[in-house]
Amino acid sequence: MRLEDELRELRARFDAALERAADPKHLDEVRVSFLGRSGEVTTVRRGIGKLPGDERPSAGKTINDVVASMEAALGEREGALQRARFETSLSESIDVTFPAPPSPLGSLHPIRIVTNDLCGYFERHGFAVVLGPEIEPDYYNFDALNIPADHPAREGFDSFYLTEHLLLRPHTSPMQIRTMEDYPPPVAVVVPGKCYRRDAVDARHSYMFHQIEGLLVAKDVHFGHLKGTLTGMCRKLFGPDQAVRFRPSYFPFTEPSAEVDTTCPRCRGAGGPCRMCSGSGWIELGGSGMVHPNVLQQMEYDPDIYSGWAFGFGIERLALVRYDIDDIRRLFENQPEFLAQFS
Amino acid sequence: MKVPIAWLREFLELSQDPNAIAERLASIGFPVAAIEKRPALSGVVVGKIVALEKHPNADRLQIGTVDVGGSTLSIATAATNVATGQIIPVATIGAQLTSVKIERRKMRGFESEGMMCSADELGLPTEWFEDGILQLDEGTPLGQDVVLLFGLSEDVLDVEVTSNRVDAMSILGLARELSAATGTQLSLPAELTAPQLRVSSPGVRADDDLEGVRVTIESPDCSRFVVQRFTGVRVRTAPMWMRVRLALAGQRPINNLVDISNYVMLEVGQPLHFYDLAKIAGRHLVARDARDGEELTTLDDAHFALTPQALVIADEERAQGLAGIKGGKFSEVTAQTREIALEAANFSGPRVRRTSASLGLRTEASTRHEKTLPAVFTDMGAARAAALLVAEGATAYAPRPFGHAVERPAAVDFPIRDVARLLGFTLTADEISKHLRALGFEVTAPSPERLTVTPPLWRPDVAIAADVVEEIARMAGYDNVPTELPPIAPHEIPSRAYHLERDIARTLAALGYAEIVSYSLNGGETFERLARAGLDPSAPPVEIRNPLSEDQRYLRHALGPRFLEYFARTDRPAKIFEIGHVFAKRDHIEETPMAGFAFAVETKSGPSWRDDAFLRIKGDAESVIHALTGRETEAVPDRRATLHPGKTAALLVDGKEVAFVGAIDPRLLHEFGVRLPVYVASMYLERIPEFRTPRFRVPSRFPSTDRDIAVIVSRDASAKAVQDVVARAAGDVCKEVRVFDEYRGPQVGEGRKSLTLHLALQMDDRTITDADADAVVDRVLAALESDLGATLRS
Ligand SMILES: [Zn+2]
Repeated sequence: MRLEDELRELRARFDAALERAADPKHLDEVRVSFLGRSGEVTTVRRGIGKLPGDERPSAGKTINDVVASMEAALGEREGALQRARFETSLSESIDVTFPAPPSPLGSLHPIRIVTNDLCGYFERHGFAVVLGPEIEPDYYNFDALNIPADHPAREGFDSFYLTEHLLLRPHTSPMQIRTMEDYPPPVAVVVPGKCYRRDAVDARHSYMFHQIEGLLVAKDVHFGHLKGTLTGMCRKLFGPDQAVRFRPSYFPFTEPSAEVDTTCPRCRGAGGPCRMCSGSGWIELGGSGMVHPNVLQQMEYDPDIYSGWAFGFGIERLALVRYDIDDIRRLFENQPEFLAQFS
Repeated sequence: MKVPIAWLREFLELSQDPNAIAERLASIGFPVAAIEKRPALSGVVVGKIVALEKHPNADRLQIGTVDVGGSTLSIATAATNVATGQIIPVATIGAQLTSVKIERRKMRGFESEGMMCSADELGLPTEWFEDGILQLDEGTPLGQDVVLLFGLSEDVLDVEVTSNRVDAMSILGLARELSAATGTQLSLPAELTAPQLRVSSPGVRADDDLEGVRVTIESPDCSRFVVQRFTGVRVRTAPMWMRVRLALAGQRPINNLVDISNYVMLEVGQPLHFYDLAKIAGRHLVARDARDGEELTTLDDAHFALTPQALVIADEERAQGLAGIKGGKFSEVTAQTREIALEAANFSGPRVRRTSASLGLRTEASTRHEKTLPAVFTDMGAARAAALLVAEGATAYAPRPFGHAVERPAAVDFPIRDVARLLGFTLTADEISKHLRALGFEVTAPSPERLTVTPPLWRPDVAIAADVVEEIARMAGYDNVPTELPPIAPHEIPSRAYHLERDIARTLAALGYAEIVSYSLNGGETFERLARAGLDPSAPPVEIRNPLSEDQRYLRHALGPRFLEYFARTDRPAKIFEIGHVFAKRDHIEETPMAGFAFAVETKSGPSWRDDAFLRIKGDAESVIHALTGRETEAVPDRRATLHPGKTAALLVDGKEVAFVGAIDPRLLHEFGVRLPVYVASMYLERIPEFRTPRFRVPSRFPSTDRDIAVIVSRDASAKAVQDVVARAAGDVCKEVRVFDEYRGPQVGEGRKSLTLHLALQMDDRTITDADADAVVDRVLAALESDLGATLRS
């Protein structure tokens, strides 16, 4: 058979095979069987050697032309199949409103979320976050905090006792003492943690609660630095318009002392019929003040050189206000319907 | 503390707006918890019944002719306590009472021109006043407006006074503070302005009371004792103005003597006691420790056997009262009493507090004394009481002070720069002096930098410069404190424990667990459930000495019980976690921070030797530990009281246990009422090592090859043991070895099991060949056979 005929016949079979190949795999098979190293074209090419010497160049060119055209056809067929697949894929349409399966993510408790936000704020401002034991001797809870035995202020701390001198801490303030015992000034820490007082449980009270304590002692630290720090804290927690107000108060371990309020985030300070702030326009955060010189002195910090402030706020209160939760007990009942709202 | 605004007005001019007064008080440290609204009453005047006759048409009604100062009214009344000559409150036509407005109306054909008023109609507690028509004092000017006269429509403030300000736990104390804050002059009754605070009746020798009472102070816990003798005492109802004020302040009126002592305590702040002098042996009072077993019956008929811890006031025969707490029954003032001794004493606060606490007896007097009153209050209290007793017709003899003289508190050396240093705003020396003087401090300026500040007699709480700073801040206003950010100096304090908790919580949430926070106290039922399940807690629980209730008696010994309660309640598959402390009593009380997580799953199916849920909880624990530490864990079989004995593992990092995982013992599930199997992991937070920073190893650039082999081994051979043999035999070329399937059954024979392993093989210097890989597998099989008696499963 003449070379041309042979190639024509081969080309016809190639075209038919190409037509039948409907996916990349078959396309590849066609490529290999015709154009591969041991494919049909190679067999034909081998036949060139049997031709007379002067015919060989033209025969080679003829074969090369056919190969080029076959490769082009192959590429075209490949492109057509690709386009067809894209069209098929693009013609798909689904109901995007169809509900997704439940998220495999868990959730953090609102107390944890508020705690993390608070600690994150204070860490960005150079404070360390330290944790402490819930069982503390009365020395750390009271004596070292300028509340000796029989001090009237002990009345405010109706505590659970385990032994005569060991109790569940009624506040996080013992960590003020432990921090100053362990480190020389300057110190800057916040202390989140559980506290306990013998309070009957109702919508606003819980015998177990969480506090965050703050302590900053360094040179040239004044009361205004507390107001500034807490203003930033409230803005982080409740939004950019929060203001902070101090009211004079009394705590044995601070002097001067202040109660701290922030603008009610619900009524934005308007008061009126607001149930969150009972109409005052302010939310009480807790106690604060300049660390009492007696406390500093006992920690061998010189009160003439160093000054500082401390505060202690209830985290539940912040969580209730932030999430508009109506009853503190919900925080500890662990209802799945409650927890799921904070994921 | 209940503060009738009308009573405050006795001492200074005040705003008409109760809210403004409340705000002012709060701004200087006396927050008002509530403003008790009084009814808006009007049209009630003082009248005198000049005639009384029966109603012509009604047996139960009388018609009074009432002189209301310049005119008379005819008024019908059903009250039975009325009589001619009585001075009474009369509501005229148009008057507004608590619940009615008085209008002209006929009563059985008679048109009454008003109404005679009882306590109820004037908003006073009826059980504290006479039944029927209120009886005003003789001499009350007729026609006067009763509402204004007694302040019946003025609100009552509930003021919170902090425990350091016992000097302000009184009407006068708060008036003093308001006077300083508003710059309004304080007007005091004459007896409180006299420099010596001594009041005695005209003609009584002021220097001594020869028949007076002697006082001996035997205890250092009584620092001062003012005694004063009164004769001609008549016990009767107190004047109406006093009764109304006491009632508005929440104090029930009793009789003129009891009322005077309460009145002076509320007004001046000094608790008083009156003894019937006829009952005081030797006319001699002694402040001393109680004798052991000494008996005392107090005014409220409570009986006490005392110990020397109690401080008593005694005569020469017996204890006559508990010092600063409550008087004794024996020398109680009665209707027969004619001569009394007044006690105005100063006691040690801690001593009173201890006695009060140990006897379980708290009174209005003890709540003041236990904060240690200013000594000057003794003289003020005695003087004020004497003036009121004299007004009641008694003869007052000269007061006799015993014990320490009243001294002004020590001067405080005050560096002016402390204002700026501690408050963040500056004041001049003049401004500082002005604020302090308004509060009664004496201020001198020995140098431009310093002030010498002497507190007034009633402010012994001000002792150091920081106290003075607070006084200045209160007067200047806390709103002057600026809002600034502090310069924070660098420090070395680590936050590791917090970061660990935070990161565990985030990792567990990412793994699908929901965080719970549960109460740390529980009742005995948790331990009873363990016992009923035949399980022993590892250590006795920590017990609260003074629990609020039985279900809060113990500190939790583990996180698990709350998990089980949760699953019992929800009864569906769920994943939860909690981070918190657990407690145990061993040699001493132990407190251990833990992180626990758990899930409940649908009841498992499949062979008894396989539990995918266990592998999931273990896998989660391993992932968490790896994320926190960058280290691998090793699981070893273990036993725990609450866990299934065949499904418990301790997780080791570098050979040390940091956590344990397992299935909850089915008996415990039953006791807690949990239907679904529960798997739990517990991590000891303090044992979790620091994160180990990984070192990068250049990965081989040659392809790897995988081989899976199945071997039959004894059932005793653990997956871990098989993996270890394989890893050792294969050497460095083996990049990963993992058992991924297990089979038991007749095909592999009794006591045997088939394990399928996956090996990833790769060389660092060239492409691994089939021959290389086959050689490794041959080595591995030989080692498994010699070490574990394993055979290749074909
Ligand atoms: Zn509000």
